[in-house]
Amino acid sequence: MTRITVQGIGVFGGFGTGVQAFVHALESRPVPPSVQPIPTGHGPMDLAAFRADLTPLEALVPARTLRRMDSFSKMALLGAHLALTDAGIEPANQAGLGLIIASGFGATTTTTYALLDSIARDGDVCTSPIHFANSMHNTCAANISLQIGATGPNLTVSQFHLSVPSALLTARQWLLEGRVERVLFGAVDELSDLIGYLWLRQRGEVNHGPMRPLATGEESAIPGEGAAFFVLSARDEATPGYCTLENVSTGRRPGLVKGDSELLILGADGRREFGAAYAAAAEGAEVACFTPHYGSMPPGPAFDMAAAALMLREKRAFASPEHSTCDFRASLLSPGAPITVDRMTCLTLACEQGFGRIELGRL
Amino acid sequence: MDTKTKLKKALADELNLPELTGEGYNDDAALFGEGLGLDSLDAVELVIVIQKHFGIEIKDMDEGKTAFTSINTLAAYIDKRLSA
Repeated sequence: MTRITVQGIGVFGGFGTGVQAFVHALESRPVPPSVQPIPTGHGPMDLAAFRADLTPLEALVPARTLRRMDSFSKMALLGAHLALTDAGIEPANQAGLGLIIASGFGATTTTTYALLDSIARDGDVCTSPIHFANSMHNTCAANISLQIGATGPNLTVSQFHLSVPSALLTARQWLLEGRVERVLFGAVDELSDLIGYLWLRQRGEVNHGPMRPLATGEESAIPGEGAAFFVLSARDEATPGYCTLENVSTGRRPGLVKGDSELLILGADGRREFGAAYAAAAEGAEVACFTPHYGSMPPGPAFDMAAAALMLREKRAFASPEHSTCDFRASLLSPGAPITVDRMTCLTLACEQGFGRIELGRL
Repeated sequence: MDTKTKLKKALADELNLPELTGEGYNDDAALFGEGLGLDSLDAVELVIVIQKHFGIEIKDMDEGKTAFTSINTLAAYIDKRLSA
């Protein structure tokens, strides 16, 4: 059986940039969200959110290269560079590297504002071709592919909050069938004015923190943005990496079967409508939840995966923020405790009874 | 504002090329390839920018190819079309 290992991780979000910043965040209290004014029909409204900083990309990629890229592609490119560098792989001439991007919403700034504004302002004859190109769902993956010379198969998957496990299913399949030996897998979403506006319209409440995702029935979600990328390998690599990717599955909740002796990393993110379902799924299990570090966003399961991979490699537990407000009938992982289990499962619950499970194993 | 200054400002804004409006830019430098490094997608954008800012439609691509050599050739082409 082919063994798939996580060789490199590239993460950034409201907590900072890179694996070290992520570890530091997981060992600390969550940083408070920043406040972002969102334009609405009734004037700007403040939204608390976990925003990502893209300036580290300027040190990695020449400004000329970034000239035509929108913020969504830049976010993904930063995640890709961080993951490849973390794996000890040069971000160039990566012929044969597979590339899969998962995103819940895609390039909403470009699609909704830049392109549509161009159509409205200049008419369909003079619409900007660059804005049009950036609005395509797979432009971000194409930009990364061009930048790092990845000529292997290339795919973009979008299934809202199940985008990560859905895309990871394909990544795993590519590696198992030997189509590629390595896959650069990443999840990314930006918090554009559009997403901020939709958040305000749909959720109405603005939580300035903290998130309390393990308090059943409480609405405490705070939106986030960022990217989490991974180098997945079916090779016998020189460096040991973080952990193994054991299994990925998606389905409907009546079919959600709890594994034996598994530790659940819950994707609970303070959205009230999912609180009871997460509580039921966690009942009797040993659990942890790290969403208050990066916020509520479709790539959340990829950040959960990064946290699990770090715990498996370092063989120690990180504390779940706001654990004192937990009312789940579950056992919360004690911070700093040695990790004794061989497997961890990142569990994501989604609308229409959907779920996604990502199972990671100790190397 | 003369044609060349207006053209450089439009291209700097629309193609995100701030160096075009800098003092050191050589207006005879090639727009494509080794010079400014523009490519085929930029060429399509360039056609749109000229239509949008100067009201000139470039339909003859042979003519356009010569005009797109540098800032100076493009500004001269625009002036010629505007005075025709």
